[in-house]
Amino acid sequence: MGDALLREPSAVLVEDTVPRGRSPRRPATGRRRGGGTRPYVPYLFLLPGIALFGVFFAWPAVLAVETAFTNYSIVNPTRWVGLGNFTALWHDAEFHGAIVHSFIVMVGLLPFSVIIPIALATLVNRAVRGIQFFRALYFLPVVTSMVAVAVAWNYVFDDRGVLNWILERLHVTDGPIHFLLDQHWALASVIVVEGWKGVGTYMMIFLAGLQSISGDLHEAAQLDGAGAWQRFSRITLPLLRPYIAVAVTIELVNAMQVFTSVYVLTQGGPGGHTETAGYFVWSKAFQHFQLGYASASGIVIWVILVVLALVNYRITNRGEAQPW
Amino acid sequence: MVSTRVAVPGRRRVARRVGRYVLLAAVAVVFVWPFLFLLSTALKSATQDVFSFPPSLVPRPPVITWLRDAWTEIPFPRYLLNSVLYVLGGVPLFVLVSALTAYPLARMRFRGRTVMFFVFLSTMFVPTELMIIPRFLVVNQIGLTNNYAGVILPGVLSAFGIFLLRQSFAAVPHELAEAARLDGCGEWRVFWNVMLPVVRPSLAIAAIFGFIFVWNDFIWPLVVLSSDAKFPIALGVAYLSGISGTDARTLSAGTVISLIPVVVFFIILQRHVLEGAKGAVKG
Repeated sequence: MGDALLREPSAVLVEDTVPRGRSPRRPATGRRRGGGTRPYVPYLFLLPGIALFGVFFAWPAVLAVETAFTNYSIVNPTRWVGLGNFTALWHDAEFHGAIVHSFIVMVGLLPFSVIIPIALATLVNRAVRGIQFFRALYFLPVVTSMVAVAVAWNYVFDDRGVLNWILERLHVTDGPIHFLLDQHWALASVIVVEGWKGVGTYMMIFLAGLQSISGDLHEAAQLDGAGAWQRFSRITLPLLRPYIAVAVTIELVNAMQVFTSVYVLTQGGPGGHTETAGYFVWSKAFQHFQLGYASASGIVIWVILVVLALVNYRITNRGEAQPW
Repeated sequence: MVSTRVAVPGRRRVARRVGRYVLLAAVAVVFVWPFLFLLSTALKSATQDVFSFPPSLVPRPPVITWLRDAWTEIPFPRYLLNSVLYVLGGVPLFVLVSALTAYPLARMRFRGRTVMFFVFLSTMFVPTELMIIPRFLVVNQIGLTNNYAGVILPGVLSAFGIFLLRQSFAAVPHELAEAARLDGCGEWRVFWNVMLPVVRPSLAIAAIFGFIFVWNDFIWPLVVLSSDAKFPIALGVAYLSGISGTDARTLSAGTVISLIPVVVFFIILQRHVLEGAKGAVKG
């Protein structure tokens, strides 16, 4: 199902399965008995999947492109406008703002997708009693709905919430910070909630990475006199590299589609300061009913995302043999 | 959880161990505080200040009035039932379609296999939020808006399920299928009676993630449903929080109710959920 959470582990699969798909080493049993197997059988199995793909992916993709060149809305008669929507987007300050906000979210979520989860994975990568319990606690926000999370975090962010209380106790601030209403804080607050909710997924990715590293390596390094930090930076980090690549790819896709958190925490406010790309598309389509315009913006955002994913792929896959 | 055993021989080792648990617990507070505060707010009596400073976690005395209020203020039972229907309809379909699609990709050689592989893979790189408009237009054209099927069907095909099960199918020793074929089983019987039972653990993981997704899904039902009689629970909570003047306690209570099924489910099956989140990477 198309949700971000579910997309995450599957993105990971790609790395492992793509080469295998190209050169299947396992005997594929379907056609093994010469002419004995009817050749259409595989397609019968694939039929429901192909049908669903056609109706809910291919057809919408065609419609999206088509709609993007029209002024389709609930009120107007539909008219072909050529590149009109795209030129309008080019000059639309609100759209630029949304893209910028999405980039900020993308950068802001990076620590929550790489640094913090690696630290957490290291912390829970110990065979001590009750460790499973702690892993589960750190993962809990992943399985809960963003709506519920937003209600809970409203109390954290409240003027008289725990965050302001801590800040005042530490004498960092004098009065309360209006985290969700202050234009300097609102987007950061959204990022924190998104990051906090998703960090468990990345933790599990890196835990899998850590557990794939043989203990012998660390032992050998220890015998050679390497300290804990040296072992981490010279052995663990380089070996985690493919996992970091995966985490960053997932993060890019997720950051570009941040919507629900904005919808329930700030509605894009204050003054549009938390309007993300995903929120822009939604609000143009379902608040302003400019479906043509919204489709065009969706396509632009998708192109940006694909470019970013390719750049990320080039960077992270360059020189696999290079030192970290 | 903190070990309080008395340090007699390896005092430093015990101290280190205690330190580790203190650290684990401190981090845990960051992850559970918002939920605990939510729960405590839902149980606080009308006379207790919800926004006391410093914030207090202890409801004195705990009351269940708000849980009852939330239940009646909006049609909560209806929303819960809807969510259950979405799960019962969506999850089995999701698991079945994933398995049907994954099986030939993993075990059969046929023309266009690589193409098919990339077709299903591509679904992963299309953000749901960007698909909602055209998908809404499609669902509108086939007349499934404000319809249970319209909520369920678009989520049934997912790269996650397909690739999770593809890996499991690929790992089944081929002697097993071969033996069944020698016994005269057709491809369907091989799939249904031999392969599916073998990959049952993976089917369970797929089902678990399917449940979590359907239960929490927000944007698609928001777009496709026009009548609140068909709202899932997540939309119900958002609706409750949108009613101006909803008491913080009632809102918390409603949110807590919406969380109970998924949290209980997670507590029971957490081992599988975590393995699923990790297992996909390990392959």
